[in-house]
Amino acid sequence: MRRLRSLGTIALVIAATLALTLLLQERYHHRILTLVLLWATMGLAWNIISGYAGQISFGHQAFFGIGAYTTVLLILSVRLTPWAGMLVGAAAAAVAAIVIGVPTFRLGGIYFALATLAYPLIFRILMDFLGYQEVPIPLATSRPGFYMQFADPRAYDLLSLAVFAVTLLMSHWIENSRLGYSLRALKENQHVAEAMGVDTFRCKMVAYVLSAIPAALAGAIYAHAILFVVTPDAVFGIQVIVQTLVLSLVGGAGSKWGPVLGAALMVPVSETLDATIGDVLPGIHGVVYGLALILIMLFAPEGLYWRGHALLRRRHAAPGSGRRGIAAPSSPSRPVRATAVGGPLLEVAGVSVSFLGLRAVADVSFSVAPGEILGIIGPNGAGKTTLFNALNGFLASARGTVRFRGERIDGLAPNAICRRGIGRTFQVPRTFAHLSVVENVMVGAFARERHRGPARELALQALAFVGLESHADRPPVGLTTLDLRLLELSRCVATGADLILLDEPLAGLSRDGVTAILGLIGRLRAAGFTVLLIEHTIRALLQIADRLVVLDHGSLIAAGLPGDVTKNPLVIEAYLGRRWLRHVETLRT
Amino acid sequence: MLRLSGLSVVYEGLQALSQVSLEIHEGEFFTIAGPNGAGKTTLLKAIAGGVGTAAGRIEYRGHDVTTTPAHLRAALGMAHVPEGRHIFPSLTVLENLEMGSYRAAARTHRPQSLAEVFALFPVLQQTRARLAGTLSGGEQQMLAIGRALMSRPELLLLDEPSQGLAPLVVEMIFEVIATIRRTRHLSILLVEQRVVEGLELCDRGAVLEIGRIVMEGDRDALLNDERIKSAYLGT
Amino acid sequence: MIFFTEAVQYLITGLLVGGVYALMSIGLALIFGVMRVMNFAQGDFLMLGMYVTYYFAAAGGVDPLLGSLLAAPLFFLVGVVVYRTLLVRLRKGRDPQREMDAQLIVTLGLSLLISNAALMTLSPTPRGLPSSYATTPFLVGPLLINQARSYAFLLAIILSVLVYAFLTRTDLGKAIRAATDDAEAAAYQGINVSRMHQVAFGIGIALAGTAGGLVATYHPITPTVGMDFIVLMFVAVVLGGLGSVFGAFLGGLLIGVVQSLTLLFFPLQLQNIAIFAVLLLTLYLKPRGLFGQRVREV
Repeated sequence: MRRLRSLGTIALVIAATLALTLLLQERYHHRILTLVLLWATMGLAWNIISGYAGQISFGHQAFFGIGAYTTVLLILSVRLTPWAGMLVGAAAAAVAAIVIGVPTFRLGGIYFALATLAYPLIFRILMDFLGYQEVPIPLATSRPGFYMQFADPRAYDLLSLAVFAVTLLMSHWIENSRLGYSLRALKENQHVAEAMGVDTFRCKMVAYVLSAIPAALAGAIYAHAILFVVTPDAVFGIQVIVQTLVLSLVGGAGSKWGPVLGAALMVPVSETLDATIGDVLPGIHGVVYGLALILIMLFAPEGLYWRGHALLRRRHAAPGSGRRGIAAPSSPSRPVRATAVGGPLLEVAGVSVSFLGLRAVADVSFSVAPGEILGIIGPNGAGKTTLFNALNGFLASARGTVRFRGERIDGLAPNAICRRGIGRTFQVPRTFAHLSVVENVMVGAFARERHRGPARELALQALAFVGLESHADRPPVGLTTLDLRLLELSRCVATGADLILLDEPLAGLSRDGVTAILGLIGRLRAAGFTVLLIEHTIRALLQIADRLVVLDHGSLIAAGLPGDVTKNPLVIEAYLGRRWLRHVETLRT
Repeated sequence: MLRLSGLSVVYEGLQALSQVSLEIHEGEFFTIAGPNGAGKTTLLKAIAGGVGTAAGRIEYRGHDVTTTPAHLRAALGMAHVPEGRHIFPSLTVLENLEMGSYRAAARTHRPQSLAEVFALFPVLQQTRARLAGTLSGGEQQMLAIGRALMSRPELLLLDEPSQGLAPLVVEMIFEVIATIRRTRHLSILLVEQRVVEGLELCDRGAVLEIGRIVMEGDRDALLNDERIKSAYLGT
Repeated sequence: MIFFTEAVQYLITGLLVGGVYALMSIGLALIFGVMRVMNFAQGDFLMLGMYVTYYFAAAGGVDPLLGSLLAAPLFFLVGVVVYRTLLVRLRKGRDPQREMDAQLIVTLGLSLLISNAALMTLSPTPRGLPSSYATTPFLVGPLLINQARSYAFLLAIILSVLVYAFLTRTDLGKAIRAATDDAEAAAYQGINVSRMHQVAFGIGIALAGTAGGLVATYHPITPTVGMDFIVLMFVAVVLGGLGSVFGAFLGGLLIGVVQSLTLLFFPLQLQNIAIFAVLLLTLYLKPRGLFGQRVREV
């Protein structure tokens, strides 16, 4: 329903723009329209990698410039029509995206931004050096249309509109696809996304390549419609990325409408300023842009589109039932997997993890039977979460093996381990704040479903299992700690996990909350799941765990039935201190 | 000297402390014991100003410091030795100690304080030109305590000083704490997981479990109460 | 033999220029270390420093080297004002990654604002300082050493040493370093971390302004010159290790040398490609740089 409305809006915007191309008379107005459309395209392209995926790029002008130069140089060298040259430029940009992306996506945050800054600067220097400081597009006397040279400015409007429309539709498709959900998840929290089965590197690469193509096309058209003479500075220069950043950030990154809004707002403003007082006050549009960036970051950092969206949503606040439903007793659909005959589900043998010279986990071995609930306890710093990180794939174990259903999984990436059937929750609930509750769970569901419809079905089923289905379409902000934990759990269930690793699921809960979670864990077992949980509150574990494993200073010091383990003197010593037992003895004498 | 009334703290979105109230008198040594995850570190952070409170009041020497920023609480005489030590790794040992006496009231006594700390921890004098990040865990703990003493505090907050240290080093640290207790006039609030080691030094103490105080009393009453075990192991 | 002399010549020029790069980069590193803000506008404050020194010289006949020193307290105040009106509003304690992005964008906006406001109010024709330094070089054997660059280098080194002394011998300087290492622990010692940010930012801007004055003795002054230098500063800081002031100092010197020595093998147009290559190699192979702390994991 929402998607149809979105498509409807897209059609409306395109129709309105078409109307404008027909109605506008002044050549100058057509120029502004063309520029709005081209920059909107560039903004949409940037948005794919920097808005959806959150990898802020300062180098997108590299692709813009590649598109422009490839097209023009091909005309000059082999007289190739720019209609084809444009596509070659797009292909070149895609290749460049792969070459730049492979080493650069390993970096994060500021390092990524600085690396992307370098490439267009290098291209600019190269073009200067290779003698392409000024490449005029040769005037085509015969067959001008073949060379993308039109007397009627409307033709450029339509050309830009076509590329804009394609990019807008592509953005719409991405938003509703598995890729879009994966990107938004990895933007919020890359580790959690990996644990939910998202191959973050591959997603980033795909997004980067998809974002390079429209940028190149925009560059090619820009060269023909606006520039006529291509210089390195005009297409690889900083003003290209400034323009892109300003319109995307003012409009709002992370949504297809943000850059469109930003372009429609900022481009006419800057063009008008340049045309009217640009002679008297050169640089006025730079001043306005600088102010715009500062003001938007101070007062509406999410952008105008999202600010408006939030205001509207508050007005029409759905009076959501708010009440948690009674968890459905039926079990969620589970993926059919080849089960190893007999044998433990998980076998940990001699796993050791060190960092900074400290052995956080030292030679730990234990196994987990299918359908079991195993509790992992130990004083702070004992290595429990580190152990989970090693089982999950976040950390590599220096030694030892981990077998799941008989197959070795140590050394695999977290997303691969997730898809094999191991899910995980975190000490502090980590939800994707900008996705709704059901969309959060869908990120997990996409680990086993390619398409949105079935993924949503699986997600709703998983939400019903934990009793959260009435909250499906609301954002996770404002949910209670208990509901957040339930959300994390249902996300795991949706991934099709057979073994769920729970990291301190009871932390921060009231007595009722603890009862609810313990009840849910029981129901997980009844539905065929196996659960491994880390907990501090041993009192609660005693009610639910089949067996306990105790870690202290990274080593396994005891394992067995809860009643036995809590009486084990090594365990008592680990928790209450070395001298407790002797002290108790002296008390009794 | 220090009064907490109905303190509730939410940390990282989770309820860490609920309705905690206690009082520490001038010159007293007070220990808070309890299992991990109970909220002991959050409690000290709340007192020192490193984390905000959702409800309740903190009064220090009669002043309401509930919303006072951490650096101003330090200026009033609170010294916090955080869990995990948190010395300044790129500063030398001496510079770390000098930063301990940053507050105006302590700065004027810096040379004297330095001499006292070196007497207490001779190894710090030997390593004073080394970068603090190169010290061993035990040495860093000594540095952290020394740094706190440099401020000539009235209230010393010690958060699990034994954590992550080898048994012999732990013994030494507790001996030092006992010495500080004996030789200086200050109030001490110690947070410690180990029951006997933590409680035997104190005058009064309390046990924290899942963000609430479940036991309170003076030293002997607590040490003789076997029920402490159930706070840790649930049995 | 001639090649050797030429190489030494370029090396010396590179070092001299590198000294000033080092001074401007220290400012950027100080700001980043304490505040985790990559100040995009650093180059534009440098540009302002160039113009201020120019006006001192043109209007008051003040020797540009003295003029750049006079610029220091002026720019310190400017830095404090910018911090208090702008940057402090961004520290709302939200998600730290988003906060860093927001600060980056704001400083970019500031850079645009400053450079374009300068374009609007000042003439774009390049100006040069009317000093005798630029024309007569020193002669040391077969080597020609530019006088202006030499004095600028000396002053840059002296100021760097002063900054180093400030950071290692004064309580305020040590407090700034402490706040860089661990802001929460610094607060527990009574250090007002917000004020440390303010002071560090002020010093950073002061260093940019002063470095601008020094550069003005041999580089043409235009409103958009900031852009050329900011990239060099970024590379120097990354090479030295983000957050390390000493690293930035060395990084600045190295960048100057690399930029100069490139001319032995490549034409002038390609001079800066070597610098970008250094940036990329550092980021890909050793993102911590020479002295940086552990890089935050992706």
